Amino acid sequence: MQNILIILHKEWLEIRQQRGLLLGIIIPFLVLALLPIALLYVTSLNIAVNLHGINLSKVVAIADLSPREALQVFTGREFSTFYALFPVMMPSVIASYSIVGEKTSHTLEPLLATPVRIWELLVGKSLIALLPSIILTWFCGLCFVVAAALFSISGRVFVAIISPAWLVVLLLWTPLLALIAVAVMVAVSSRVNDPRTAQQMSAWVVIPFLALFYGQLLGFVSLSIVLALGVALILLILMALTIWLATRLFQREVILTRWK
Amino acid sequence: MTYAIETNGLTRRFGELTAVEALSLTIPAGTVFGFLGPNGAGKTTTVRMLAALIALSEGDARVAGYTLGRENQQIRRVTGILTETPGLYERLTAVENLVFFARLYGLSPQRAIEQAEHYLRLLDLWERRNERVSGFSKGMRQKVAIARALLHEPQVLFLDEPTSGLDPEAARVVLDFIKVLRNEGRTIFLTTHNLPEADEVCDLIGIFRTRLLRVDTPHNLRVSLFGNGTRVRVVGEATIWLETLHTLDFIRDMSAHDDTLFILLDDPDAQNPLLVRHLVEAGAQIRAVEPMAHSLEEVYRELLGAKQSNHQMPLARVSSR
Repeated sequence: MQNILIILHKEWLEIRQQRGLLLGIIIPFLVLALLPIALLYVTSLNIAVNLHGINLSKVVAIADLSPREALQVFTGREFSTFYALFPVMMPSVIASYSIVGEKTSHTLEPLLATPVRIWELLVGKSLIALLPSIILTWFCGLCFVVAAALFSISGRVFVAIISPAWLVVLLLWTPLLALIAVAVMVAVSSRVNDPRTAQQMSAWVVIPFLALFYGQLLGFVSLSIVLALGVALILLILMALTIWLATRLFQREVILTRWK
Repeated sequence: MTYAIETNGLTRRFGELTAVEALSLTIPAGTVFGFLGPNGAGKTTTVRMLAALIALSEGDARVAGYTLGRENQQIRRVTGILTETPGLYERLTAVENLVFFARLYGLSPQRAIEQAEHYLRLLDLWERRNERVSGFSKGMRQKVAIARALLHEPQVLFLDEPTSGLDPEAARVVLDFIKVLRNEGRTIFLTTHNLPEADEVCDLIGIFRTRLLRVDTPHNLRVSLFGNGTRVRVVGEATIWLETLHTLDFIRDMSAHDDTLFILLDDPDAQNPLLVRHLVEAGAQIRAVEPMAHSLEEVYRELLGAKQSNHQMPLARVSSR
């Protein structure tokens, strides 16, 4: 445990020196975190809504909503899926710099020569990528819940947006996606020498987010609790597989003899 | 005698390729061991095996009394390694780099800072302790990397090309520091391509190319390959004195080039006076008598089968007897 804290401290010292990296993470994060809240606020205003005959009640699969309620539910649900994107974005960026950075600066060999256990190293490096993103995602999610309570134009709008399914996305999908992103990054890091390449190669982890975003947008997907739990189960299996792969690749022997 | 490193048939294969084959070696504690060989000979693989970084394919080894494979964690605690590239965290300061590694080696926060200070002062970097390593010269980085390898006071130190790419002044600092470490009684396993440096600091030399070709002290390697010899510089052409010297039975071999006689002897200390007297009595005017010094490079080239270009060196091959 002590070694994990030592690694976390060192990683934090390094990350805080990289202002470009921090800004590159924080600015998109803030935009994505504030956008759903801003849209909830805008749709709460008593402004004229012209949906050109689109029945959003059908899209959001809730009957008897007024057009304004349907619009707010649709907007709230659609853009609150952004919170599923954060745990993919941030850990990928941090982990790519943390692991590929060790490769490019040739620090892995002296690091592996210390008595640090390999799982401590992997956990330390994973936590520095996971903790900020999960904490921030949950914090932003909480802000969104508060905003939804403040700006929802009716009680049934609030219930429709802050649904059990959305809570599953926030509380289960996000850590699972973050863990998958980190594990993929470890696997990818064994083959590339550029953090940006590693990020590109791990970009497929955003697929669940895109599927949900566009599925809801086009009306193909209505996020039910069953669907949310089903996807969480699939993510759990994927997480187990990617972590298994990452731990196989993240061994002293493998890193020193097979990593390119 | 206590051995710091003992290997028995140490072998490492990568698929079809054998990088290290049947390496059997004993290095007494407190020895500076020079591990010499060409690029790709398997030196780094050997170091990585002995530092418990990669597994061995066959054989067994003990490092600082611990068995490789079974007690790897203990081996990592009592060994230090200087890798071929310094491998420092560029965004961290010198002291942050050192304290991080010291803590991973199990030192308390206070002790980590004390050790970092001790070695930064010793290597003349204390004034720059709070500067980022990215602004350091190559020599300074190498010093920080050496300090890192020593923070936990290892019994065995692996130095992989410690002066590679350094300017002569920085290389001298590193070499002098190795001598300081030797005087402290540490065992140092040094891989290098710089043969004069190895000659200067090593007590034992191993010549290696996948297999260990020879291991001995630098002096014994020279004598075993080239014998003891004396070089006599005379006034005028030296060749004319070869005939005169044929009458001396104790000369094992000899040759001449320009104004110099190269004479192979069993015991130069005892036989040189007789040799000189004989030459003087025959009328030779002697300008200098000195031991025939073969460089470690000649030993290395001889053992690795490289062609000799220097006429003076392989005396046994240009014999006149």
